[in-house]
Amino acid sequence: MSSKKVFIVFRKEWLEVLRDKRTIFTTFLLPLILYPLLIIGFNAVMSRQTGVLEERGASVAIADSVLNPVSARIVASLQEIENFDFHPANDVVDYLYENKDIQGVVTIRDSLDADGLRLYHVSVKYDAANEQGQMVLDKVSWKLREVQKEIAEEHISARGINPKIMNIIEVHSIDTADSQKKMGMILGMFLPYIMIIMLLTGASIVAADLVAGEKERKTLETLLVAGIDRREIVIGKYLTIISLSMLNLIVNLFSMSISVKFMLGQTGMDMAGVGIPFKAILLLLATMLPLATFFAALLLSISTFSRNMKEARSYEQPIMMVSMIMAMISFLPAIELNGMLALIPVVNISLIFKAVMVNDYQISHLLITIGSTLVLDAIAIWASIKLFNSESVLFRSEDDSGGIKSIKKDRKNIFTPYNGIIYFSLALLALYYLGSRWQMQDMVSGLVKTQIILIALPVLVFVALLKQDKDKVLRLKMPRLKEIALVPFIAISASVIVTILAQLINHIFPFPEQYLENLSQLFDMDLSLWGSLAVVALAPGVCEELLFRGLMPRFFEKFGFMSNILISAFLFAAFHLDPFRFIPVFLLGMLLAYLTLRSGSVFNSMLSHTINNSLAILLVTFANNGFLKRVMVSDDSLHYWVVIPALVVLPLSLYLFHKVTADKNEEYELISQDL
Amino acid sequence: MITVENLVKAFPLKDGGEFNAVDGISFDAKAGEIVCLLGVNGAGKTTAMRILSTVFRPTRGTATIGGWDILKNPEKVRENLGFLSGDTGLYNRLRPHEFIRYFGRLYSMKDSNITRRMDEMAELLDMQDFMDKKIEFLSTGMKQKVSIVRSIIHDPEVMIFDEPTAGLDILTARNIISFIRKCKDEGKCVLFSTHIMREAERLADRIVLIHRGKLLASGTLDDMRSETGESDLDDIFVYYVNKYSDETEVLDHEF
Repeated sequence: MSSKKVFIVFRKEWLEVLRDKRTIFTTFLLPLILYPLLIIGFNAVMSRQTGVLEERGASVAIADSVLNPVSARIVASLQEIENFDFHPANDVVDYLYENKDIQGVVTIRDSLDADGLRLYHVSVKYDAANEQGQMVLDKVSWKLREVQKEIAEEHISARGINPKIMNIIEVHSIDTADSQKKMGMILGMFLPYIMIIMLLTGASIVAADLVAGEKERKTLETLLVAGIDRREIVIGKYLTIISLSMLNLIVNLFSMSISVKFMLGQTGMDMAGVGIPFKAILLLLATMLPLATFFAALLLSISTFSRNMKEARSYEQPIMMVSMIMAMISFLPAIELNGMLALIPVVNISLIFKAVMVNDYQISHLLITIGSTLVLDAIAIWASIKLFNSESVLFRSEDDSGGIKSIKKDRKNIFTPYNGIIYFSLALLALYYLGSRWQMQDMVSGLVKTQIILIALPVLVFVALLKQDKDKVLRLKMPRLKEIALVPFIAISASVIVTILAQLINHIFPFPEQYLENLSQLFDMDLSLWGSLAVVALAPGVCEELLFRGLMPRFFEKFGFMSNILISAFLFAAFHLDPFRFIPVFLLGMLLAYLTLRSGSVFNSMLSHTINNSLAILLVTFANNGFLKRVMVSDDSLHYWVVIPALVVLPLSLYLFHKVTADKNEEYELISQDL
Repeated sequence: MITVENLVKAFPLKDGGEFNAVDGISFDAKAGEIVCLLGVNGAGKTTAMRILSTVFRPTRGTATIGGWDILKNPEKVRENLGFLSGDTGLYNRLRPHEFIRYFGRLYSMKDSNITRRMDEMAELLDMQDFMDKKIEFLSTGMKQKVSIVRSIIHDPEVMIFDEPTAGLDILTARNIISFIRKCKDEGKCVLFSTHIMREAERLADRIVLIHRGKLLASGTLDDMRSETGESDLDDIFVYYVNKYSDETEVLDHEF
């Protein structure tokens, strides 16, 4: 690869960017104009509105059912509130309130307590969703506190006690945060969100144009036959996106900070200490850079994959939405970066950004964040280059099959990856909205209902509707004895390895306690051992296998054996809605998919899945008994050495399984071909 | 200059099967010769040319351009090849001289060389008036001239034209035709594809007839005339297609 040619591409793309008025406008001019206008406008409206609100005051009805000197004093003091109109309540007070003619109703009642002291109950009816209503509550409560203090002081003085007793404890708060840090905290809440969004929008301005646009304008082929390697084209375009999105970010930040400073200066706020130190700015840009590279690679992949710009833009939408939601984590209080969160893209950047803003971050987290983002970046750019080398992707827009469509009738095939994703999404939605609700109401019946009604039944109905041989589609074929005999060895050794792995992950990135508590609920169900085994092991073993090893792989057959295993395992792991167990479940999913696809029988993975889940229950139940006592550290953890025999048994049994199914490998037939 | 041996390109079908867009074709083209790839739409002309220009990898078989193997030395092939098609797009926001310079630089040419060659070509094709205008404001004919200069800026030995006159008006098409002749006169090896019989008749030294990915016949027009006993290229083409259809089972008639 020649960096010179990469630079030639980069320079040409920038020349085009700079010639594009729309890009120039959205990237450079818009931020420069928008923030001052927004802030000045917002400021003007705000100050005007607050003034207007104060001036407008409010109409409030008072119903005094006590009518004694004290209640009269309360009423009198309320009437001192400026711009407030108080009317005695009448029969139509509810009507007036509903009609918004009055914005509050104050009712005074009284009662006698056990010592004969008369207590006054003042209720304030107001509409919290209305600014005027909120003002009624604020002003009335403030006034009432004043009256209460006066009355109490009079009583105390009458008994010859110093009224200062009322304030015998005085609270002084000493704020140790300097204004720098305070500002950092506020900015740390919303700046990461804004910056991540800016980065993404900046990147998306050009990304769609760079490859999908070239396809649309038919310039791509010219470029492909020119004297340049495809990797050089990809990298040149990739650098263009990165530089543009970073530049967009910097321009936005610059304009925003100037506008804010200007606004604060106008309102006469203390400007000392406001602003981010230069070192922090550099650090922040350094953390944003890996994210910019990741977004660039991701959007470039999308652009390469898409037929035209419109398609690219519509593929960008979900990425935008997911990133926005992930970036919002900075708004949540009390979430701090830990080793685990530092591995999640966007979330980690959002949190490390927040931490840097208050100058309270760990270098290790910073490094994990940057490192993991760069790893994802590398994967995405690798995918981009892969896509760029794929003829079917690059020339997807054209019909190179010539007259083939008329020769072979275009048969309708339901088993496409697209339909697979739709099916999976619907199942996930059902799990999320129905399954979790059922499980909240009652764990046991909820789990069973989820497995049978939401997971297994739809699969059977789906296959029945297709009028397909369900045994064939779902691979419901009896395994041979020598296969099924090997499954327990595979299942047990794999479970041990995965459990140890999960323990290891937990050791490095501890799970939150709340999470462990929820998990232990699964094992604390009010059930006999056999009941637990049926609900937690057998039901998922059968039902989930029908979906994830029976039906799901059919949708992704066109990608081939290995990719199909990876895809179905990924969906299986995602289906568990549990980021902490994602990796172990993913690995198990791979194993289960292999067992089924290799042998052509879903019963193999059903048995394996059931054994795996049973083991978890047995370990917890018999932690203190006999043999298990020797392999377990505590109630739910295995000794690490147990992994050694498992590491011997698993490859051995898998090898044997591979051998005894060698003749069946041919049977990895593509069902979609038969349709 | 061009040799093609048993070239096969298979595309996967949606139902998992395969379809050979190019199905075992062989031919060659020498320096100073114009060879025409003739066939109806969907015959596999574009696919074959994309393989020769290293955009596609062949499924089987091989080819060389200027002595370089398309699989082993794709970058050498691209350096020795000029490629032009009728529907080539241009970067609208660039100016012709920037556009041409961009490609010259991608061919690792020195800027001074690019400028010299570009000036020569611009004078030859009468382009001086619009070298500084943005491409988006140029007419189709002007754009086509820019594409011509782009395709030949690095002075390649081999030129490939994929349906070069498709969608062009008669005047612009004539520019291309005379450019193709000029390439031949300069001793370049020219391969061009078309489905227009007249164009093949007027330009080609030799014709390679392909249909449904397969090579039906190749040779000079005179050879074909004497073999078929027909004088018109239209009739010659139909003769070969019918002969091919007799030999193979016809799947269905689309007429």
